[in-house]
Amino acid sequence: MASISALTIVMAVLMCLAGGKRGIAAFGSVALNFILMFIAIILISAGFAPIWVALFVGIAILAITIYLGNDDEQTARIAFIATLIVLCVMIVLIVPLDHFAQIKGFSNEQTDEIEQFTLLVGVNFESITIATTLLSTLGAISEAAIAIASGLREVIEQNPGISVAAVRRSGRNIGFQIMGMTFNTLFFGMFGGDLALFVLLYKLKATFGYYLNSKIFVSECMMVLYSAIAVILVIWITTQMMARKVKWAAHQEKPGEQQGSNVHPD
Amino acid sequence: MKLKRRTLIEIAVILLSGVALFLFSTHDDFMYHQAIGEVVAVKDGKAVRQTDQYKNVDYQTRQRLTVVQTNGRHRGRRIIIHNTFSRSGALDQDFHRGQHIFLTNIRRVHGTDYATASRFKRDTTLLMLAWLVVVLLYLVMHAHGLRTLLSVAINFILFLFFVQLDVTLNLTHFFWLFALSAVLFTGLTLCLVIGVNRQCLVTFLAIVTGTTLAFVIGIGTLQLTHNAGVHYEALGYATQAPQELFLSATVIGLLGAVMDAATDIVSTLFEMHRADPDVSRLQLFKSGQEVGRSILGPLINVLLLIFFAETIAIAVLYFRTGNPIGYTFQWTMELGIIQALISGIGIALVIPSASCLAAVVLGKKERSNGFN
Repeated sequence: MASISALTIVMAVLMCLAGGKRGIAAFGSVALNFILMFIAIILISAGFAPIWVALFVGIAILAITIYLGNDDEQTARIAFIATLIVLCVMIVLIVPLDHFAQIKGFSNEQTDEIEQFTLLVGVNFESITIATTLLSTLGAISEAAIAIASGLREVIEQNPGISVAAVRRSGRNIGFQIMGMTFNTLFFGMFGGDLALFVLLYKLKATFGYYLNSKIFVSECMMVLYSAIAVILVIWITTQMMARKVKWAAHQEKPGEQQGSNVHPD
Repeated sequence: MKLKRRTLIEIAVILLSGVALFLFSTHDDFMYHQAIGEVVAVKDGKAVRQTDQYKNVDYQTRQRLTVVQTNGRHRGRRIIIHNTFSRSGALDQDFHRGQHIFLTNIRRVHGTDYATASRFKRDTTLLMLAWLVVVLLYLVMHAHGLRTLLSVAINFILFLFFVQLDVTLNLTHFFWLFALSAVLFTGLTLCLVIGVNRQCLVTFLAIVTGTTLAFVIGIGTLQLTHNAGVHYEALGYATQAPQELFLSATVIGLLGAVMDAATDIVSTLFEMHRADPDVSRLQLFKSGQEVGRSILGPLINVLLLIFFAETIAIAVLYFRTGNPIGYTFQWTMELGIIQALISGIGIALVIPSASCLAAVVLGKKERSNGFN
């Protein structure tokens, strides 16, 4: 445990040095998320329904990441709502697709790790896989939502009279950049973590058919693809919400005009 | 009117491609060498209650499947498969009518063909999900969005190439091979995303500085504490020296996030410089720090959640079989946490390194000294 404590201290100090007060807040959010994930695992082990645990813990993680990572209340709220919508969409997508693909539990390549255990432990591994997928995408969607919401706020603040179409266009431009980098973060994060697996698969001389159908490879790929879908959706939804906010603000500013046009047809 | 017709054509093409891909992947059995069978009849036995010494209750069911082979020379023959599945489904699954299964160990006993189910056919789901990603990218970002896929695809090919190189060369210190691959990934991605210019070079240097420093600090800390309590042998699928494999995985895992932070900072500072060419170094450095601060927490969380979520299933298995928290943590989560911590150090370090480099390259020195 000494090594991990030392590394934690080093990271905390560097985060404070690099980020000052916000560095401390960032460290707090990382620590809280760690505790929440740990609680999630304990709850699932205790027999609570994994998908519900993932949903509740997931909402808490989103709230912590977004509100502790952002100063502006309004941007944070839009980012938070957008990520909640995406979370719901992802559940609707993941539950049936994970069932079709039957990627639950462990794969044959993992037998070394699990051979010492009895596997009949009375939990639903399909739900656990769904919970895992949901939780692993949360970081990426909250990061993307914050990035695009604050980017668009900057644009809107600098051009007060901006049109809704222009907000959408800016959203697409900023979203494009964010998406490109987020895809790489996800890609390196996930495939980097699976380096050992890839070396193993290569040594096994895996065929193309194996890659397209084996439980382990398909489940890792689907995880990356789900994250990509979640990021695309969150960027689109956040942009739409910011655009609606601009529309609404314009509507509020010119109540006379709006009323006038409403009265006219009578 | 013209625009509408184009939209209609687009929708038609998208839908047709989806249907075509679906039909193809559900009828592509002939392309596989391994025998595949379609389940035509299922006979389930009774669910048998199982209890272990940890008082976990589970149910196991035996089933007898009749499948019809759908490819190869013996197309159309009927084969019997015996399968056992549990309600929890850690390593097994129950089969239903209409599903396709890869078959191994086909044997003939007393005139009846028997086989073992080796793998479930999953290509349809995988391909349809990939199709959905491409369609969504196109709908939200138009043709522009497909370009982001290009850099990921190229990186993936390069990644596979380096894995192959690693296996072929079989070096003792293969960490350096993957470190080199990390440098190449960075260069290539930046050239694709930013273009070959001064900004690309500054970002590249910032990333290399930040990552190298993070690694020296991270490994230094691990050495100073003599890797106390770290079980590198807990690394899954390890077929090479686990410690080097872990470090190689860490350097690649860290790269994406560091790249993300560095690109954000450097591009903001270049944008500032474009708007006001006289901006001072100090001002640039401060703004860079400001951008970095806002993404520090979210980025570390991305990696923490990716690394942590992957351990859920195995950790649940440990807990359900009576292992204490400390032991479970050490053997399932610790490596992921260390990976996240080293990445956190890298992200924290790339903020000053990117701000500093961009400020030195772009800023006017005299104003930062003379003013105030």
